[in-house]
Amino acid sequence: MSLALSIGLLAAAGVYLVLQRGMIRIILGFVLLTHAVNLLIIAAGGVARRNAPFFGGDTSQAADPLPQAFVLTAIVIAFAITVVLATFAVVGRNDDDTEAGAEAEAGAAPRTPIATAGDES
Amino acid sequence: MIDIIALVEALLPMFVGAPLLIGGVLLVLPRLARLRQVLGMVSLLAVLAGAIVLVALTSDGTVLVHQIGLWPGGVSIPFVADSFSALILAVAAVVATASFQYLIASGEARSASIASFVLILIGGVAGALLTADLFNLFVFIEVMLLPSYGLLVILSRRGNMAGSRLYVIINLLASTLFLAGVGLIYAVQGTVNLAELAGTGSDPATAIATALCLAAIAVKAAVFPVHGWLARAYSSTSPAVAALFSALHTKVAVYIVYRISAVIFEGDGVWMTAIMVVASLTLVVGAFAALGEREIRPLLVFQMISGIGFILIGIALFTPLGLTAGIAYMVHHMIVMGALLLVASAIEQTYGSGRLDRVAGLRNREPLLTAVFIISALSLAGLPPFSGFVAKYTLVLASADAGVVVVAGLLIITSLVALMSMMRVWADMFNGKRHTDVEVLAAESRIRSRRDLFDSDAVDADEVAAEAAQAVEQHAPPRGITATEEDPHGHRGTRIPIRLIVPALILAALSVALGFGGEFLIQLAEQASSALLNTSAYVEAVIG
Amino acid sequence: MSLIAILASTLAVVAVTMVATRLIGRNAGWLAAAGLGALAAIVATRVPEVLVGSSAVREVVPWIPSLDVALRLRLDGLSALFLIIVLSIGALVMAYSARYLSDRTVHRHTGYFAWMLLFAFAMTGLVLADDLVLLFVFWELTTLCSFFLINRSGRRASAPAVRTLLTTAFGGLMLLFAVVLIVVRTETTVLSEALIDPVWQSDAGFTAAIAVLVALAAMTKSAQFPFHMWLPDAMVAPTPVSAYLHAAAMVKAGIYLLMVFSPALGGTVVWQSILVSTGLITALMGAVFALRRFDLKEIMAYSTISQLGLIVALIGIGTPSALATAALYTLAHALFKASLFMVVGIVDQQAGTRDIRLLRSLWRRMPVTFVTTLLAGLSMAGVFPLLGFISKEYLLGQTLEPGGPVWLGVLLTATVVLGAIATFAYTGRILLGGFTDYRGTERADGDLDTHRMPETVREADPLFVATALAPALAGLALGPAIVVLHPLMSAAGSAAAGQPYTASFALFGGFTIELALSVTIIALGLIAISQRRRLDRLLERRVLSFTAIDVVERIRTGANTLGARIGDTTRTDAPASHMAAPWIVVGAIALAAVFIAPSAGTVIDAGEPWTDALMLALLVVTVVPAVVTRSRITALILVGGAGFVVALWFFALGAIDVGLTQLLVELLTVVALVLILRRLPAVFHAVARNRQVLSAAIALGVGAAATAVTLAFTGRRDISTVGQYFLDEAPADTGGTNVVNTILVDYRALDTLGELTVIAVAGIVIMGMLSARPMLAERTPDLSAWAGTALVRTVDNTLPIRVVARWSAPLIILLSIYLLLRGHYEPGGGFIAALVGGTGFALAYLGASTDRRAPVRWPYRGLLAAGVIVGVASGVGGYLVGSFLRPVRFGIPLPGGSEYGFTSALIFDLGVYFAVVAIIIAVINELGGVREHHARPPSPASRGSSADDSRTRDRDDRREAVR
Repeated sequence: MSLALSIGLLAAAGVYLVLQRGMIRIILGFVLLTHAVNLLIIAAGGVARRNAPFFGGDTSQAADPLPQAFVLTAIVIAFAITVVLATFAVVGRNDDDTEAGAEAEAGAAPRTPIATAGDES
Repeated sequence: MIDIIALVEALLPMFVGAPLLIGGVLLVLPRLARLRQVLGMVSLLAVLAGAIVLVALTSDGTVLVHQIGLWPGGVSIPFVADSFSALILAVAAVVATASFQYLIASGEARSASIASFVLILIGGVAGALLTADLFNLFVFIEVMLLPSYGLLVILSRRGNMAGSRLYVIINLLASTLFLAGVGLIYAVQGTVNLAELAGTGSDPATAIATALCLAAIAVKAAVFPVHGWLARAYSSTSPAVAALFSALHTKVAVYIVYRISAVIFEGDGVWMTAIMVVASLTLVVGAFAALGEREIRPLLVFQMISGIGFILIGIALFTPLGLTAGIAYMVHHMIVMGALLLVASAIEQTYGSGRLDRVAGLRNREPLLTAVFIISALSLAGLPPFSGFVAKYTLVLASADAGVVVVAGLLIITSLVALMSMMRVWADMFNGKRHTDVEVLAAESRIRSRRDLFDSDAVDADEVAAEAAQAVEQHAPPRGITATEEDPHGHRGTRIPIRLIVPALILAALSVALGFGGEFLIQLAEQASSALLNTSAYVEAVIG
Repeated sequence: MSLIAILASTLAVVAVTMVATRLIGRNAGWLAAAGLGALAAIVATRVPEVLVGSSAVREVVPWIPSLDVALRLRLDGLSALFLIIVLSIGALVMAYSARYLSDRTVHRHTGYFAWMLLFAFAMTGLVLADDLVLLFVFWELTTLCSFFLINRSGRRASAPAVRTLLTTAFGGLMLLFAVVLIVVRTETTVLSEALIDPVWQSDAGFTAAIAVLVALAAMTKSAQFPFHMWLPDAMVAPTPVSAYLHAAAMVKAGIYLLMVFSPALGGTVVWQSILVSTGLITALMGAVFALRRFDLKEIMAYSTISQLGLIVALIGIGTPSALATAALYTLAHALFKASLFMVVGIVDQQAGTRDIRLLRSLWRRMPVTFVTTLLAGLSMAGVFPLLGFISKEYLLGQTLEPGGPVWLGVLLTATVVLGAIATFAYTGRILLGGFTDYRGTERADGDLDTHRMPETVREADPLFVATALAPALAGLALGPAIVVLHPLMSAAGSAAAGQPYTASFALFGGFTIELALSVTIIALGLIAISQRRRLDRLLERRVLSFTAIDVVERIRTGANTLGARIGDTTRTDAPASHMAAPWIVVGAIALAAVFIAPSAGTVIDAGEPWTDALMLALLVVTVVPAVVTRSRITALILVGGAGFVVALWFFALGAIDVGLTQLLVELLTVVALVLILRRLPAVFHAVARNRQVLSAAIALGVGAAATAVTLAFTGRRDISTVGQYFLDEAPADTGGTNVVNTILVDYRALDTLGELTVIAVAGIVIMGMLSARPMLAERTPDLSAWAGTALVRTVDNTLPIRVVARWSAPLIILLSIYLLLRGHYEPGGGFIAALVGGTGFALAYLGASTDRRAPVRWPYRGLLAAGVIVGVASGVGGYLVGSFLRPVRFGIPLPGGSEYGFTSALIFDLGVYFAVVAIIIAVINELGGVREHHARPPSPASRGSSADDSRTRDRDDRREAVR
């Protein structure tokens, strides 16, 4: 129950942040979402057995190792992408604002092709 | 013969390993641009050759399997090549090669990491197409994505990053959702091995989990209502990169939809109907949105989205003919879209703008480019005698055959809309005005790239314009014999260098060949679709 | 000569002529003419074979067997008739072109001849096709040829060309739809077989649908109302093109299509009503419009429309005799209209204008041309004894008994008579306007080009005129000699009617109603001509406020705007607006899951340890504030805290390695983001209230769904078989005891390989990105207030941590290596080891007093690459024991008897180690801005190369200049 609630909490918070404005919030949002998904995967292996999966001794209560392997991989990949996203936040025109794109462009370069009318600001 | 099969099976992982290895090596040769390009091209061609071998070996329905690490089936990660994955891999390799050729010709590939990125990308594509393990698929999707981010940003000529940011974020979203779906599938079934999951779609829980995966993939494939980001992202990078992505990313996503729907759902009615609805919306929305664009690239990208809809109709029908048609259309679309985007690349590269209302009169300036464009455009609209006609006819036939005449009509109307947007490009960019305006554009873009200005840098824009105008003045032909369209032999001023046209030319030629050789195209697609439908063979091969 | 050979040789003519044009210029036209003429003769020799009954010659060459599409060719009476028309008129036009084209701009002629002859090829294929798909292919081919021929004739031609293409392509798609439906329904692609399928009788709805589609296709091609506008539009093309495509041949493709489908569709109400009504409307409208035009060519265009209307109406009536009459009419029209168009071209060339308001008394100066026009014109007007007279006679005969009520016959006949009178009138307009001083109007309006006709107009080159005269004479000759046409017409009629029929046309059929009507028509026509000035004034009023072209353009622009609207819905770079939809979809799916999927798993787990609840509570206190705060740094720290709680969760669930990794990754993430935050504003952007509400709603929905799904989906089963396998077999298989690690480096090493690739590439991407683009400037806090205090003395301030770093760094490195080695057996392994090492570097970085002094100067680019290379290489090494990534294992004796179980998996893990360490250093150096301050001198390497920072700097300067 608590685990399910934790997942729900992380997911909700993540989604909220992701829908906000500005790269940093979006990044943090995805960090939380990743947590949620990782916990979900661990939960997918079953939460009844909670011993660390090491050989030797009795493994009858050892947790399913496969989801753990999945999550390990997922965590590291998520880290790599987070760092890339972070870099995206500090290159470009003004700050990490994700919704100034249109008018920043239109203002900065009236001659540029992409400044099509109808760009929402 | 049999030992060859065994050998190839054992070498399946090298479709991933070799590109990654070479890509890694190229990273540490920062000074040797030429060598990087040559090695990159060679390895791409090698992948292509290998893929063709796979197509040949699987043509009789054999399924090549390798349990990586030789662990027992169900435990290890299996790599599987049937005629479907082989075909798509081959076509992807073709377009990738053409696009890379363009990158070399345009000098973009000289940048330190580009060759490596392209190789790692193709390696990821190979992995995603060959693996039969859902989590491994997730990993390879990431392997595809990261180099793409690099290509996207490093080769972008646009000043602001909005489009690239959007691309990364949306893909991250898709990956996260997909991972969650995989987790749920594991929760229900206790495995992520595609073969072991065969037919489990009948269990509602599994079906839901799979649906989540499909939804995630649909985001990547830019299916309505999550289609708009693609136009934004692909328009903000180097056009050649857009060409590369259009053949790799969205199409791999579509491949996954095909595979998962076929293996896990086995064409379960409800879900197929859902896909049908979404696909129809996608193809209509894409086609009309394209019509409304004023720049060649977003226009083409929306056409691409519409094409995704066309392809998905095939799986939604889930009749042998339907799948054949869908796959045939997929092959055709990868090739023609690549050609068109490369044409757009050549134009934007030389004239510094893709705006329909700025570039004009290319028909007499650029006879070769014009030929390539008109062939690809008509092929896209599905007019004979090009590959587009064969594919589209088969698809319409399949829809009507499956009794969904409405969809058939929809496909036909959409073709007209597609033709309208292609004609819009034709009338504005290829027919039309005097040349001097274009000359100014070309001169400007030359100056900008010499000065390393981003297209959207307002900095000293007027100065650039003035300089360009002056440059044109100098090269302008004497009064009286200005090159008007009545005299296409006014060989003065800028022309698109031939080497920028060749890649697109090759793809267009391919489209023509597949039109006249329609039988060949349909044959390939038929093999692929039968392989897709023959789930039992797939399962039997993977689990043993 | 076989049919396929005929088809092929038309292609050969294309090739030969193209080559010849390069050598002898416009005279290549003669060559082409000879070629087509020869082919026409050959066809004529084949005709007798198909004259008896409804016999036909068939040939098949496979094309796409899988779809049962083939090059099926079939010659019957109908196709023979059209084939002869196409080829012979083509020959004439080619000969005509040899004089019409200028002998100067030769380079343009190649394309002209190519497209013209390609069109001849397409028409040949069309009329020979006996395969539904093939029919469509050639149909579209004619469309394309016409498009290119129009498009290449000058700048003004662009819009008309596109309009023509879109209109006719629309028709083509209708045909495609019909073809597909027929193929699906009759299960054959053979045209002749499909047409005799019983389904036509059995399924009225199907037949009606096909009738509509085919009619639409034909109407667009033959420029029938309301699709007529493209034809006058297309008159921008050179005259020979108009003469061939838009008078004699292409517009006849529609007629051919209608006649081909008549056996199946003829007689059905839909078919009859559509064809007869549109046909007659078009006939009347075209004739009236022709009376209002001043450009001879435009008059011809409308006349063509009108004449085709009559033919369409005839086909609509659909009786065998009507169809035969239609065939005859087609021939007659082809002859006189081709001649007329060529005449227009001649006049245009000699007099320099086609405007009847400018042309003056040419009949004296160009007598032969005048005679030609007279002959062709009278044939068109239906005057005894020309061929046109006969066709009109029998047309009237058909309209008198269309079948059905009497009033219908009267109505039809009346309309035809009206049309005929108008035809007579505009024939007069052509003759008088073109060759006498008659101007057609009193007032000169804007579009009248002011330049006058040259005073000295001479008769054209005899060869030139001869080509125009020939068909006119043919029309004159065939009138009296109508008998010679009987066999062909009978065959055509039988083919179109699908039943044997023998034509019996006669020049003089006795004193019949038709004759009376003809006389009336001529009389009234003469009156109309005599009263022409009054008539002109009458017609000068505009009837409609808009033209058909306006309508088409309206549709096009309308579609464009609609498209733009649709595009606007997604025309934004704001991720949120693109992400809302997927989240809603996902929430929906997940919630659906709760209802569909049997919610197994106990909701309240009694045996749940109290620590779970505690960790939930910890999450709440970290996550909730993280969401609400507006301070970036606060949010970051809180999220970091949440990360640590998640790590606790992992430990609690028995995932030791995962927990460790989570801890270290969290640490590094926070470090990276802190480096970022230095360059960003202190607070988040403000977001509108209602948007917060919306996103909160979505978020809660997804959150609820996530919880529900977790409860419903997880904990339903015991440990998975594969999981159990790992627990049992791992040591035996791999020699490792840390099962998770064995999965990572042995069983699923491919995942790990992909993942280390991801890391390495991420590092490269960051480097590339930052060398191609500058980072935002740092927002260093203003310390002036603290000047002189300890706060700004960075060197001293960082002393303690530097001391720590100096001592701890080696230890940390050692520790990380130890973790690496034991990873296979105890918690540890590549990631964790590397991450620990990485924290060492992080520490060292924090210890540096300034970015400049930041210590680590490793070639991390190479290290990143090394990660990938080592990883893959060890994978390839696996082939020693049979497979990619299969571990190679052997024992290494250690001092003290024991031995270290070495496995190549360790080397693989080393790759992971390299990649992870490298990216950590990369992140610290890149985002820390170290390279920013140590930019190497400008190098000529190209843009985007991560090897040069020069451009980075100068763009930085520029941007400063902008601010």
